[in-house]
Amino acid sequence: MTTTTTDIAARAVDAWKVYGSGEAQVIALRGVNVELEKGRFTAIMGPSGSGKSTLMHCLAGLDSLTRGQAFIGETQITGLSDSGLTRLRRDRVGFIFQQFNLLPTLTAEENILLPLSIAGRKPDPDWYKTVIETVGLGDRLGHRPSQLSGGQQQRVACARALVARPEVIFADEPTGNLDSRSGAEVLGFLRNSVRDFGQTIVMVTHDPNAASYADRVIFLADGAVVDEMAEPTAEGVLDKLKGLDVTSGGV
Amino acid sequence: MLRASLKSLFSRKLRLTLAIVAIVLGVSFLSGAFVLTDSLGARFERLFTSINQDVDVQVALSEDGQDEDPQPKLTQAQIDAMAALPGARAVSGDVSAIGVIPFDREDGKPATTSGAPQIGGGVKGDDPFALVQLADGRWPSTDDEVVITRYTADQTHSATGDRLKIFLPEVNEAREFTITGTAVYDGDRESLAGETLILFEEGFAQRTFYGQEGLFSGASLAARDGVTQEQLREQVAPIVPNGFEAKTGEQANEDAANDVQEGLSALTTYFFGPFAIVALLVGIFLIFNTFNILVAQRASELALFRAMGASWGQVTGSVLIEAVLVGVVGSTLGLLAGIGLGLAGSAALTSLIGAQLPGAGITVGATPVILAYVVGILVTVVSAFVPAIRASAVPPLAAMREVNRPDKPLRVLTIVGLVFAVPGIALLILGLVGSTLAPLLFGSLLAFLGVMILSPLLTRPLAGLIGRVVGWGMSGRLGVRNALRNPRRTAVTAAALMIGVTLVSAASVLGESFTRTIDQTINATVGAEVIVQTNTTGGPPGEVGFPDRATDQVRQLPGVEEIVPLYISIGARVDDAAPPFGGTFATDDLAVARDMFAMKAVEGDLRTLRPGEFVTDQNTFESRGWAVGQSVPIELDQGGEQQYRLVGVYESTPIWTDTLILPKQAVADFAGPLALQGYVSLDDGADTDAVVADIERVMADYPLVTVGDRSALLDQFDSFIDIALGIIYVLLGVAILIALLGILNTLLLSIFERTRELGLLRAVGLNRRGVMRMVGTESVVMAVFGCLLGIIVGVGLGAALAAALIDRDFLTVVAIPWVSLIVFVVITVIAGVLAALWPAWRAARLNVLEAIAYE
Repeated sequence: MTTTTTDIAARAVDAWKVYGSGEAQVIALRGVNVELEKGRFTAIMGPSGSGKSTLMHCLAGLDSLTRGQAFIGETQITGLSDSGLTRLRRDRVGFIFQQFNLLPTLTAEENILLPLSIAGRKPDPDWYKTVIETVGLGDRLGHRPSQLSGGQQQRVACARALVARPEVIFADEPTGNLDSRSGAEVLGFLRNSVRDFGQTIVMVTHDPNAASYADRVIFLADGAVVDEMAEPTAEGVLDKLKGLDVTSGGV
Repeated sequence: MLRASLKSLFSRKLRLTLAIVAIVLGVSFLSGAFVLTDSLGARFERLFTSINQDVDVQVALSEDGQDEDPQPKLTQAQIDAMAALPGARAVSGDVSAIGVIPFDREDGKPATTSGAPQIGGGVKGDDPFALVQLADGRWPSTDDEVVITRYTADQTHSATGDRLKIFLPEVNEAREFTITGTAVYDGDRESLAGETLILFEEGFAQRTFYGQEGLFSGASLAARDGVTQEQLREQVAPIVPNGFEAKTGEQANEDAANDVQEGLSALTTYFFGPFAIVALLVGIFLIFNTFNILVAQRASELALFRAMGASWGQVTGSVLIEAVLVGVVGSTLGLLAGIGLGLAGSAALTSLIGAQLPGAGITVGATPVILAYVVGILVTVVSAFVPAIRASAVPPLAAMREVNRPDKPLRVLTIVGLVFAVPGIALLILGLVGSTLAPLLFGSLLAFLGVMILSPLLTRPLAGLIGRVVGWGMSGRLGVRNALRNPRRTAVTAAALMIGVTLVSAASVLGESFTRTIDQTINATVGAEVIVQTNTTGGPPGEVGFPDRATDQVRQLPGVEEIVPLYISIGARVDDAAPPFGGTFATDDLAVARDMFAMKAVEGDLRTLRPGEFVTDQNTFESRGWAVGQSVPIELDQGGEQQYRLVGVYESTPIWTDTLILPKQAVADFAGPLALQGYVSLDDGADTDAVVADIERVMADYPLVTVGDRSALLDQFDSFIDIALGIIYVLLGVAILIALLGILNTLLLSIFERTRELGLLRAVGLNRRGVMRMVGTESVVMAVFGCLLGIIVGVGLGAALAAALIDRDFLTVVAIPWVSLIVFVVITVIAGVLAALWPAWRAARLNVLEAIAYE
């Protein structure tokens, strides 16, 4: 598949991220170049400390790069002010975290509508109905997060990310805290939203099984992109990871 | 365990700082009162020591002598006898009077002091004790000559050679004198304590103050070398006449200083006491809340202790040790602040009376120190007790994973609250119906406590309602939700504010009701257009005021229809009990007073009283169980007990309740012959301003007397209420300040707890302003919630109290001060915003990434 710039939802150009200085210096990203296509489900994988979460945070406007550039669509986000980044996150990006996705004081429905409420926008009623039906939460909308199971909470988080139709949804270990059945539900739901609605999703995970739901997997090790795989399977990803562990172990 | 709790204490010292502040404020008021009293006492002791320097024995009126009428005097022969004693080196007879007031030569107005005495004395050449020394000129030698102190000269803008107008008590008139010299106190001091001092020729002073020459009010003796004070006192004692006693100089100084200190102590207690109580009461809530939240936050740490084998007693102990430490730190800082407060108070008082009191450093006795620590630590430990018990209930399992401990239901709280509130309100109603004060007050207290305990229950409905008003936009709504999510925390935080607001609302209702009542009553029942009043700070009624001569002069003025002079006795005992609260009066013609004040006879007759007759108001009549025609023993300021026959009863009104009126002849037994007030009615068509000016001219020679129209009288009543309310508003300020800290504290701790939520909100697009608005809204909801609770309870209690006072004819209306109440709410909103500033800023600056990190 060939890609032109207009098909890119997010990209990093020679992205460096350095924490601390001197002896305590840690280089999390060493000149990462990556392009994430629109309408696709991309997984970013790598062992702990490989920089996968840092890359996602920098692409999503939650963290800033030390050097290099990050783009959402055609917008360069490096150098944006806090309010610029906030607006970007509000209007163009969706998030699904591993946990603490929901505000305990709000009902499921209010949580889903939170980014729109913050922006002062009304949801498209048809789209809202579609999202609710897809995540299958119709009868639980009035409940508070404490009255929902972990899987239900993550589905609410997915619905929240989807309902604003952001250019890209960043999911950070969305199934990390779920049992395998609930996890499979959430992953299937994410994959369907890419297939059926053309949503762009970037997911950080270390679970090969979760990565197998993606269209493409990017492997990171020691702050650099080391490999990638299209149409991955769990076994294929696992083998790749083993290889990475061996290489990084050998360095 | 101690080491562990110490460590965790220091790591959270910032959080505890606010709890400490509450203790500091409370303790500082408490210890400040003592330090101020002691320090001022020491300064007064210095003052007396310098007045009595070189005085080895003082002969002065004994307590019995002070009660006699006329007060006994020493004769010249007795003074001479003292001088002839073998141990006496020098003797000086005292001739003095207070209320000797000079007039300013520049504006012709009386030169009054702010509370310090205005003294006149008699001199015959140099003072053997050299307390007062001539600075220039010579001592007075004729009846129209005086020497004044340099301070007096400054105050009156006069100098040696000038003519000075001086008001003389006893003869009650102002005369002109020639200043023959100015004097200073030993050590070149202009005044001792901001007093004015005028020295007349001794014989003139004796004639003027005591009615004849050769009399003295006391004597000071100096001992020969080698004779001790006590030895001289023993020599003097046998020749001291009845009604006098001889004291050593040291004893006299000590007694005088003790008298002053007692007065000061009462003053500072009444002034600082309420502040300390409010500060500590509000502080209890703040500390309770702080420890509660800290314990909740430390759940996993405490659980770890438990998991490692610490007993629940050790966990409770560790929290209580923290409380003790907080108490110690707070008390220490509070004590220091109290010493500062004492210093400041002492300085302020000194500047008030003219910066003339000798300095004596700062005195910190044992009492304030002990009290500071006992109260500070006790309050902290008691407040932390429930949180400490709660800490021990953390299951060890909580160390391993997040144990979801749902908020306890409010059922128990509801029951306890109702146990207080229901009987409280019942008692209130009982008190209102039966118009008895005891159940009313007790009921008020119970109802107040009940509402306070029930406040978590009221959080959702009431704070929710407030939230609808202030919760604009998504961030506003989120703030309201946050305020409502933990009703206990919100309620406890708001309760601190509620206490203060309850207090002021109740006081405002009473104040407003009094103001309106006085307004209505005076307008309806006082038929006087011009009112003559006397400032009683210069002396007791009877000794200050205007003489009958002036009353007669006013009566002769064109345009004046009638004048009713009112004489007041403050030392009366009636029927062997305290005098009526409203006052014991005398006037020259009750029939005129009756018409002037629209008094209505309920029983008997309100006619001109004959000697030995009196009238009273219906309330006094009924409560004392008198009958018309009955004789009642009345003891006035002097002259012993006499029988007075009750001849009439008038209707009680707010200005005539708990009073009695005696005939003019009784004034002979009052503290002095002067009338305190005069009510003047005018002929139809008379020009009020012109008559006021005429009366002012008559009264010009009586320094403390002021003349005004009816509005001046209203202003005077209002100013009393305003002063009382002013103190209460300052009290509110203190309560609001501490409550503000409480809100700040709660917000900081809540924000800490909700770090992840804030991170999430920021991640999904809430900007910094939104976060700040969210925190601000939460703060305002809590603050206004506390304020409204306070207003509801305060207005309720104030109105109940006012209603009870209507029954007793002290009031005619219950008035709600709407404007003040609205101002309270506005202040609270501002306070809420202020309290939120720092927490909101911190919340907004939160690092999004750290907030959502979980690895």
